[in-house]
Amino acid sequence: MYKYIGKRLLYMVLVLLGVAFLVFTILSFTPGDPGTIILGITASPEDIAALNKEFGYDQPFLIRFFDYIGNIIFHFDLGISYQSRQPVIDDIIARFPNTLLLTVLSMSVSAVVEIFLGVISAVRQYSVLDHFCVITALVFASVPGFWLALMLIMVFSLKLRMLPSFGADDLIHFILPTVTVSAGSAASLLRLTRSAMLETIRQEYIKTAKAKGASEKRIIWKHAMKNAMLPVVTTLGTSFGASLGGAIITETVFAMPGMGLLITTAIRQKDIPVVMGSTLFLAFLFSVIILIVDILYAFIDPRIMAKYKNGGGRRG
Amino acid sequence: MQRKRKYEGFPAKITALCLALGLACSVSGCGENYIDRAMDEKSLVIAVEADVDTLHPSDYSTTVESNILEQIYDPLLAVSSDGLGDPEPRIAESYEVSEDGMTYTFHIRHGVLFHDGTPVTAEDVVFSLEMYQESEYQGSQVDGLDYAEATDEYTVVCHMSYPYSPFLTGIGRVHIASKDYWEESPEKFSTDPVGSGPYQYAGRNKGSSITLEAFEDYYRGEAEIQTVEFEVIPDQTTKSIAIQTGEVNFTSIESSSILALKGSDRIDIEEVATSGFTYVCMNLEKEPFTDERVRQAVNYAIDRENLVNVCYDGEAEVNSNICSKSRFGYSDDQKQYDYDPERAEELLAEAGIETPYDLGTMLVAEKYSNIATVVQNDLKEVGLEVDIEVKEFNAYLDDLTQGNYTITALNLTLEGDTQMCSMALTTDYIGTANNARYSDPEIDALFQQAGQTNDTKEREALYNEIFSKVQEEAVYGVICNPYLLYAHNSELSCGEIPFEGFYQIYDFSWEA
Repeated sequence: MYKYIGKRLLYMVLVLLGVAFLVFTILSFTPGDPGTIILGITASPEDIAALNKEFGYDQPFLIRFFDYIGNIIFHFDLGISYQSRQPVIDDIIARFPNTLLLTVLSMSVSAVVEIFLGVISAVRQYSVLDHFCVITALVFASVPGFWLALMLIMVFSLKLRMLPSFGADDLIHFILPTVTVSAGSAASLLRLTRSAMLETIRQEYIKTAKAKGASEKRIIWKHAMKNAMLPVVTTLGTSFGASLGGAIITETVFAMPGMGLLITTAIRQKDIPVVMGSTLFLAFLFSVIILIVDILYAFIDPRIMAKYKNGGGRRG
Repeated sequence: MQRKRKYEGFPAKITALCLALGLACSVSGCGENYIDRAMDEKSLVIAVEADVDTLHPSDYSTTVESNILEQIYDPLLAVSSDGLGDPEPRIAESYEVSEDGMTYTFHIRHGVLFHDGTPVTAEDVVFSLEMYQESEYQGSQVDGLDYAEATDEYTVVCHMSYPYSPFLTGIGRVHIASKDYWEESPEKFSTDPVGSGPYQYAGRNKGSSITLEAFEDYYRGEAEIQTVEFEVIPDQTTKSIAIQTGEVNFTSIESSSILALKGSDRIDIEEVATSGFTYVCMNLEKEPFTDERVRQAVNYAIDRENLVNVCYDGEAEVNSNICSKSRFGYSDDQKQYDYDPERAEELLAEAGIETPYDLGTMLVAEKYSNIATVVQNDLKEVGLEVDIEVKEFNAYLDDLTQGNYTITALNLTLEGDTQMCSMALTTDYIGTANNARYSDPEIDALFQQAGQTNDTKEREALYNEIFSKVQEEAVYGVICNPYLLYAHNSELSCGEIPFEGFYQIYDFSWEA
């Protein structure tokens, strides 16, 4: 098990280096230099050059890249923002809690609601409730996030005046964004739970359990559920990443100061240190979550635990 | 059968749960207090489209930063950027300009305090001017200044390198900062600003809001509105909803939101004139735009009224002159190009252009593509055909400034004194803001002369000569000056918002 985790951590470092190189390259070879972007075309070329020099942007690409990586590895330093002249890590620390809260809330809502509905849909296959759940989930998944967000604001803020339309001061501000983000991942979770559950309840061991006189509740929620959850947990892990992505658009609409808003603004301003820092941070987070999901498998499914113990990894 | 009944309870339970949640929400009154929360108090919520990166008095670059710094810092003089009217005293109680325009003497008002309680002295003014001189961001505000010296505690003399008449307009934009504060805590200088303006910095929530409070010892009297909160709302639609719900009291808006807001009797819209202009830019180094008649033809071919309606929802002033109508130096005598397709065709024929003529590609940045489409149509009417190529903004700027284009459409703002128009018209600025790549020694000389003359009449005559010539030669195909639009709660009185939208919250008040 530890050997496996060790190996995975090593891969993670390689992946992060790859991400860093890719993003840095893309940012460096797209047109525009930070000096011109900050000062505009009416500025004098000398001022622009001076500013670029201050940022070290006049250095060749590879030198800048290795400087950057070196600073992270040896000084745990994500650099200074071109725009704000403040450490990038401060920006991340200021914004990340909002994004994390939004993602966790959305994931919890969609996990609880959709797994619950998915199980019921499976148990009551082809019932009115089943059709209703599947269709509703599909509609929510097909609706673009920004549109849903605006509709929610129009109804709950403008018409009913129940909820605030923007901000992130307290939990109330998170209600509409949470609904928006969780709606996006709803359909896949519901359908997955439903089909996994359908498959499971037709297994022989369920029949055995029934034959032994176990109650319906016990069969569904204990025997079947545990086995059906494996693919669901995988999806939950990956859709955590998708939720982070969804949060970017949602944050913009609801003016929520999170990572999404930070990255989009930084990309537009070509604030390379901020884009790099936040992308790496999110990539790191995502890798850790996938790793946790893989470890969770072992606890859900003893067969996988056995495999880990034999030193075999399931996937790269 | 037995099994079925067991689960029939689920939908009912879920419904009940949802209802309960909904009820809990409305009973606990999630809402209500979010509406009109500022109206009854002496506070104000302003929505801005981006967070500030810095609150440094001189090293800032965005409009939002400028808007907020305006409230925190006071200048020596309040100078209207349209170049009209006399400067109003602020920190400087009076000033004198020497006859040759080489020295400016400012007499500092006694008893002006910084927010930390220390008095504003000549030392601080000299320090601020020097800070601007060194700034890559706002250095142009003190162009022409050689050095400043404090001759006594309350007198500052500015020595110029050469006479430069727009100097006072620049002075109006120089924020006076505290030298002591800079020396004590340079690290806090750009994050915890200390100025001497009507509002002091009270804190911020990174990425989401900035709070200012009225400074009680402000020398012109404490501001009426006590607390100002700048909320960051990047999305236009959210902004326009937030002003309708009353969560926001004042905000700039885009013309696309205007329809939704004009219907409301609780919201007023202010149209503010700016120097920004939307224009068709032709590369004068490339055929066929080397011929003045072709450029005139393009100018006659554009239906400006129609473009303003289509692209700006009517919220722009039609004007074919690079100098906007409310700016010093503008005159109706300078040629205006009206929509006249027949005249355009005649001019093309005179220039020996056989229509249909292929102009090639019209390069444009994404945000101006709608303008390009309208122009493309207008040009086609007179037999000039273009294809539109859309590029990412920064890639576009590269091509634009390096002259790798034939024709394009964009919007440019040359803020400050009318002299700033030289950036679009003089040889020195080819490669930066002179995108037509226009070079005429006569215009260069006239601009230089206008910059060094302190006599208002004489300057006006010089600008008249410049713009008359430039308009006659149809250097640019200017279309309009879009208005800056502000939406605010009708109970909020905003005074008159000055040219370029440099609003002063000090002039705002809630009507009883």
